[in-house]
Amino acid sequence: MTKGVQNVSQVQIKVDNLNLWYGEKQALKNISMQIPKNSVTALIGPSGCGKSTFLRCLNRMNDLVKNCRIEGKISIEEKDIYGPDVDVVDLRKKVGMVFQKPNPFPMSIFDNVAYGPRIHGADRKDLDSIVEQALRSAAIWEETSDRLKSPALSLSGGQQQRLCIARTLAVKPRTILFDEPTSALDPISTARIEDLIMDLKKDYTIVIVTHNMQQAARISDYTGFFLMGKLIEFGQTRQIFQNPQEQSTEDYITGRFG
Amino acid sequence: MAREQYVKQLDLLRESIFSLGEIVELAFKDSMVAVIDLDVELAAKTLALEAEVNNLEEEIESSIFDILALQQPMASDLRLVVSALKITADLRRILGLSMNIAKIPGKIEGKHIKPLVDTKKMSDIATYMLENSLQAFKTQDVELARVAASRDEEVDMLFYAVWVELIEMMAKDTSIISKATYLLFLIRYIERIADHCCNICESVIYLATAEKIKLN
Ligand SMILES: Nc1ncnc2c1ncn2[C@@H]1O[C@H](COP(=O)(O)OP(=O)(O)OP(=O)(O)O)[C@@H](O)[C@H]1O
Ligand SMILES: [Mg+2]
Repeated sequence: MTKGVQNVSQVQIKVDNLNLWYGEKQALKNISMQIPKNSVTALIGPSGCGKSTFLRCLNRMNDLVKNCRIEGKISIEEKDIYGPDVDVVDLRKKVGMVFQKPNPFPMSIFDNVAYGPRIHGADRKDLDSIVEQALRSAAIWEETSDRLKSPALSLSGGQQQRLCIARTLAVKPRTILFDEPTSALDPISTARIEDLIMDLKKDYTIVIVTHNMQQAARISDYTGFFLMGKLIEFGQTRQIFQNPQEQSTEDYITGRFG
Repeated sequence: MAREQYVKQLDLLRESIFSLGEIVELAFKDSMVAVIDLDVELAAKTLALEAEVNNLEEEIESSIFDILALQQPMASDLRLVVSALKITADLRRILGLSMNIAKIPGKIEGKHIKPLVDTKKMSDIATYMLENSLQAFKTQDVELARVAASRDEEVDMLFYAVWVELIEMMAKDTSIISKATYLLFLIRYIERIADHCCNICESVIYLATAEKIKLN
């Protein structure tokens, strides 16, 4: 039933028959999806339909949840991420995540960004340039270059979110997962982050969960619609927003739901 | 159902297009009767419809701009709004052409230079196309839209036939040039109206299927 994207040139993430349970409750049902490389894929759907759960499967954040059981297969760059030889720390380095609420660590701007590279054993003398580059890529260098030693928590919400993106970029991931990254931000900060996401897809594969239909339409190349744990429809954003194939997708994006 | 206000706005938009379509249909039919019978009174009545259409057109446009600016329509709603905008423009052009037709009776003195048999055929087909393109919009009937648009070819063929006939008549008798020129304009207007009906059919198909096709 799920409409796939045909002839995807290069697949970054391939999901096959993914099922997930929290205890007795099944939260994801038979999800299959192919997420193209160097693209922005938006996941939409009503609250509680499993978007965040699905996103967390992609870097094995659900491993931390008690009673969580997963079946099916997820390959990233053709490697089974639930395979026996997978180093989860390394996986999370390659698959970075940015959350709804900016969550900078209670330390300086510089140390926030340097945190990941330090853990992964970056050379001390390289740190300055790694931090600068990450802050530049996250479009926040101009605002922070003269106050790198200030506490990250002294930044505005929108700046904190871009700092968190810089922190994610600093460990050089290849895929970045965003879970409602702009829901707490004003329109200007939102626009800056949207621009940034579209710019980042040159180098990264991006998956973003958003409740903002216009945001999904503006920034994504592909859109997946989730409903009650199922992937109802997946396709090019242009098609999903002009001519969805499933009635429930139509009802959701036109706001007729419920 | 969620967004009741918005759903009402869209229904209202659809209804306004139906109303606009009815007036334009009436204007075209009456203008043709007026020009065939050279009925100046009916022509004047027809010309009076323009003001009403202008008001309705303005209302439709501003409601479309409101919906776009304030409601961010998506999917089939978006297609409705886009096709409503295009259909309104086509109907407005059909009305303008009908007004041109309705002005002809006031300019022709005495009788026509010939019975308007093929011209009447053209206008019958164009009327059929207009009625059915609007019906197809009401019911989102893709098949009907295709059938209606397919009649355009007959209109074009009649146009060329009458055109040649009128040119030949003028060559033979220069005293009729003034009257014949009005008839040349007339068939040109009808031919253009049929083209706008094809555009409406294209909009209907886009509305129903999201496919953008050329029908003429
Ligand atoms: N740690 C957990 N333990 C048990 N149930 C959970 C847990 N996390 C999520 N769920 C349940 O799984 C379902 C999917 O939740 P999830 O957070 O993935 O939804 P979502 O689509 O991201 O919703 P929202 O848009 O509100 O963020 C919900 O019914 C939720 O209650
Ligand atoms: Mg969520």
